[in-house]
Amino acid sequence: MTAAAITAGLAGPATAARTRIGREWTLALPLAAFFAVFFVTPLLLLVAVSLFADAEMTRFGLDQYVRFFGDAFNLAVLGSTLYLGVKVTALTLLFGYPLAWLYTRSGPRMQSALILVIILPLLTSVVVRTFAWIVILGRDGIVNTLLLSLGLAETPLRLLYTEGGLVAALVQVQMPLMVLPLITTLSRLDPNLLDASAALGAGPWRGFWKVTLPLSLPGIVAGCLLTYAASVTAFITQSLVGGGQMLFMPQYIYQQTITLHNWPFAAAISIVFMVSVLGVVMLFNLLGRASKGYVHA
Amino acid sequence: MTLDRRQILAAGLTLGAMSLFPGMSWAQARKLVFATFTGSWEEAHREVIVPHFRKATGNADIALDPMLSVDMIAKVSAAKANPPIDVMLMDPGPRLTVIGQDLAAPFPVDGSKNYKDLLPVAQLPEGPGIFFQAVGITYNPERVKTPPTSWDDLWKPEYKGRVGITNMNSTLGTAFMVELAKTRGGSENDIEPAFAALKELQPNLGGVAPNPGALATLFQQGQIDISPGNFNAIQILRARGVPVEFAKPKTGTIAFLTTAHITKNSPNAALAAALIESAMAPEVQTKLMQAPFYVIPTNSKVQMDGDIARMIAKDQEELKASFVFHDWSVINKNRAAWIERFNKEIKV
Repeated sequence: MTAAAITAGLAGPATAARTRIGREWTLALPLAAFFAVFFVTPLLLLVAVSLFADAEMTRFGLDQYVRFFGDAFNLAVLGSTLYLGVKVTALTLLFGYPLAWLYTRSGPRMQSALILVIILPLLTSVVVRTFAWIVILGRDGIVNTLLLSLGLAETPLRLLYTEGGLVAALVQVQMPLMVLPLITTLSRLDPNLLDASAALGAGPWRGFWKVTLPLSLPGIVAGCLLTYAASVTAFITQSLVGGGQMLFMPQYIYQQTITLHNWPFAAAISIVFMVSVLGVVMLFNLLGRASKGYVHA
Repeated sequence: MTLDRRQILAAGLTLGAMSLFPGMSWAQARKLVFATFTGSWEEAHREVIVPHFRKATGNADIALDPMLSVDMIAKVSAAKANPPIDVMLMDPGPRLTVIGQDLAAPFPVDGSKNYKDLLPVAQLPEGPGIFFQAVGITYNPERVKTPPTSWDDLWKPEYKGRVGITNMNSTLGTAFMVELAKTRGGSENDIEPAFAALKELQPNLGGVAPNPGALATLFQQGQIDISPGNFNAIQILRARGVPVEFAKPKTGTIAFLTTAHITKNSPNAALAAALIESAMAPEVQTKLMQAPFYVIPTNSKVQMDGDIARMIAKDQEELKASFVFHDWSVINKNRAAWIERFNKEIKV
């Protein structure tokens, strides 16, 4: 779902090569066929299942959607999931941008070290990374032990199974998705531009706001898209660090499908969730496009 | 012979397709697929049931595919005519779904050697009970000095922030809520007292785990010290050196039977029955009862000993007297509404 939208967003302006395209497009056919069979078909099936009126799948009707939108609780779950993504994306950007910037400013040796640090989390499974956070945030965990030994807290704080803990874990888990696109954009940035702005009298901050930041917007948009899509759908991290009473859309779908066998309702909330995330993704895309106008102006 | 581009492409595609769909190259029925539970269950079944089965069937091919009961149902109901699983293991709630959706074939009771030796409660022709699971109070003996004796102990003020539970998605979480209702004047039809009691428990709650496995993690990380827990789940922790003990509440140990079912339309029905036969055999159940597996036997010929005799029941008589069973046909009807209520009301 999001992958296609993201690629569309990253494709950028029309290339001159387009006029020269002949029969080469047929090379994309195998992948297109694969997508048609294993992505589009299941998606259509999902839509079809969501249109059953009852859990036993005997009648058609829009009942599942009526049920979803008729209950404020469901909307609250959807809202908190989308908002979770916003918080994680904002923090990832806040911490990731300086890291990416540092990378482009470092010498080759430092760069290899940094890229290793950035890529390393991707080389371990999400389960392992998430489990590490359970150890960090637990009552006897690293954070609590440190706070207690420094005398900053008298009793261990509750960090695990809280939204704050979950956001922290997600920010770390999804960080590479933000930093890698940022590095790509920032590395392509012509250093002469900053020198020019300095020569024309702009201070470092003004140079950053007027030159670096606008020119890196495509990277920011790409990084935000990836991070957002990955964090709202992060079933494993959400359930292991968020706990059993914090309900987000992925767990809600799992609960309805696996525990309650209510496939139509699960399908309906999946569709609602997908459309909502697509909506947010399109918003990011619009921002990205608007930013291009700004940069070229 | 010369190969042209087309032939190479065709051969390549065929090879690719064969590796994508390995079933294509098998002419006869596939190996017997036994969907067992994950973790220590798989280990126990692989080491004890499988060798016995292979000996009894002249080395029939078998594969274990560990997953939850609910996942087995999802897989089988998605491919009813050609199920990917031959033997399913069911907790009591999912068991009724399997029977209700007509996903299982009856066990051939008449030809069975061991079926008649099962405890009466395990003699279920739709699929016999091959072991019990027991839910009691699990606690960390290093921090909980007096062993708990009653479910009410979870409400003691000294356990502020130290109690763990799971949500109602799991059999464990649901069974705990039903037992709570029952010990406080409710029943499978009246869950109200349990929700009221849970509200009072909130100050004590250190975490609501998304599943029983996560509850074990909370013990391991010292996040909680006392919780309702599955006897077998804590054996894994004990084996890893985590300080955790199991206590029987005075109102009885919550018990549920795990049943084995032959999947309907299984191409290996006879072998599936043979596997269940092995799982009921007294020599298999005796071995499973001992360390390190501690599986509670359903065969009346098994002599209890070791940790099971000490922590669960010294013989079948005590087992019958101390086990509390819930009516899952009623629970299943109400469960969706309960889970919805739990989603909405329980915030920690």
